[in-house]
Amino acid sequence: MGEYTIFHTVAWPSTYAYYFFVIGISAALFFISGLSWFREEFKSLRTSSFYLSFVLLVAGGLLLIADLSQPMRFIFTLNPFYWNFASPLTWGSILLLLFGAASVAYFLAMQKNDEALARKLAVAGSLIALGLPIYTGFDLSVHQHRPVWNTPLMPVLFVALSLISGAAVASFLAKGEARLLTSLRQIMLVASGATAVMLLSLLVTTANGGSASELTFMFMTSGLLGAVFIGLGVIVGTVVPLAVLAVPFGKQASGIMLASVLLLVGGMALRYSILMGPQIVHTYF
Amino acid sequence: MSELRISSIETRGVPGKKRYAMVIDLRRCIGCMACQVACKAEFDVPLGVFRTWVPYKVVGKYPNVRKMFLPRLCNHCDDPPCVRACPVGATYKVEDGGFVLQHYERCIGCKACMAACPYNARFMLPKHRTYTDITRVVDKCTFCHHRVTQGLVPACVQTCVGRSRIFGDLSDPASEVSYLVSTLPTQVLRPEEGTKPHVFYIGADRNRTEYGRDVYNAPEVLEADRAAFNRNHNI
Repeated sequence: MGEYTIFHTVAWPSTYAYYFFVIGISAALFFISGLSWFREEFKSLRTSSFYLSFVLLVAGGLLLIADLSQPMRFIFTLNPFYWNFASPLTWGSILLLLFGAASVAYFLAMQKNDEALARKLAVAGSLIALGLPIYTGFDLSVHQHRPVWNTPLMPVLFVALSLISGAAVASFLAKGEARLLTSLRQIMLVASGATAVMLLSLLVTTANGGSASELTFMFMTSGLLGAVFIGLGVIVGTVVPLAVLAVPFGKQASGIMLASVLLLVGGMALRYSILMGPQIVHTYF
Repeated sequence: MSELRISSIETRGVPGKKRYAMVIDLRRCIGCMACQVACKAEFDVPLGVFRTWVPYKVVGKYPNVRKMFLPRLCNHCDDPPCVRACPVGATYKVEDGGFVLQHYERCIGCKACMAACPYNARFMLPKHRTYTDITRVVDKCTFCHHRVTQGLVPACVQTCVGRSRIFGDLSDPASEVSYLVSTLPTQVLRPEEGTKPHVFYIGADRNRTEYGRDVYNAPEVLEADRAAFNRNHNI
């Protein structure tokens, strides 16, 4: 061996991938609950998707706190005197706080049967929820030296992944309602189509980048990480469900369920491999 | 003509501001790693983590081979990505001097600064240290701020037997670092990232500064070492 260096650790472990997954679903489920005030077919999901959204929000917050090496200092992220607006993590802590507050207010409005207020909170909460996948995308894209992360695609890709995962989970809550499943299928079809285009763009751009991009591309398309990214993320989790949803079988409840399972597996695999790939390369620098 | 400054945090060409920098003359580095040891002693740096380190690559063709050293440390960037990344302002830049430092009592351990640093200069302090009770927060090289403000040079510079490391104020035209940077060809690590590092190398070529091919095809022994390291430093 002709090289010696010290070993550097991966800064962000897989906990962040689980967080991205959970918070993406939480945001999309809130959006679906809010949509029920404006689209009749979503009405049966109003409470169930909201409750699950809230549970996942709490789980996501706990995941973030558990990953801190000083967990009790999470309170510092809520201190306005410490906020650093150049950091997307600061935007995230503010958005999580606002999303929690909007969820509680929305719950109280629903309990009081105050439809006018609930509608307004559904819109406001959905806009805040949209900010969650956007900020997680910026969390990665602001790192100028990381191939894959440092692309304008990240926030958009995370919004699409959030919609896919949320709609997939909602399809299990739909209890076979035909009209509702048709609408959820449309969301999954459009969002996974957009994801496929973005992944292709990401792969081509990374393969044709500089030396770090080239090595990241090699890591993400071969070996174990390649199996996760290309195998589970791109093929099993994006291309196959897209094909399933596009054919007549994909219009039946069983087809939509199958696509939902595959999209959830793919959503997790993509988030994990996109988080880890550029970090593994960098540990050798 | 004033110097081009992209970000407001940069202090290049700002009158009256010191801008400390290190020049590392690789022609003089013998790879004794005394700098690494001096740094460990100065700061009680725990096992497995380093504020400065000296990696090498073996280049050439047998029998004409040699080790090429590249001492590494925090680059105390003029536009540091770690300062931007910290959500609670625990990482900051000292305007007069350019030191990039850490408020240990404020660090929450989110590791955003570690993810943001293009140079791997930051690390998580493990749970146990021999003499110091600052643990489980992110740490890094300080350019020996406590020594420099007392008129001394950093510990690694003080101990360097080949006088490979030279430290001084770039804003002072009479300093040795100013002279070296203005008269000799120098290189910085990953200039394309726009960080404007304050560590300059003399004699660094791409063999030392680029990702090596071993990244992808790592020797088995390296992977075994890596696995052992990961087992002992679970962050």
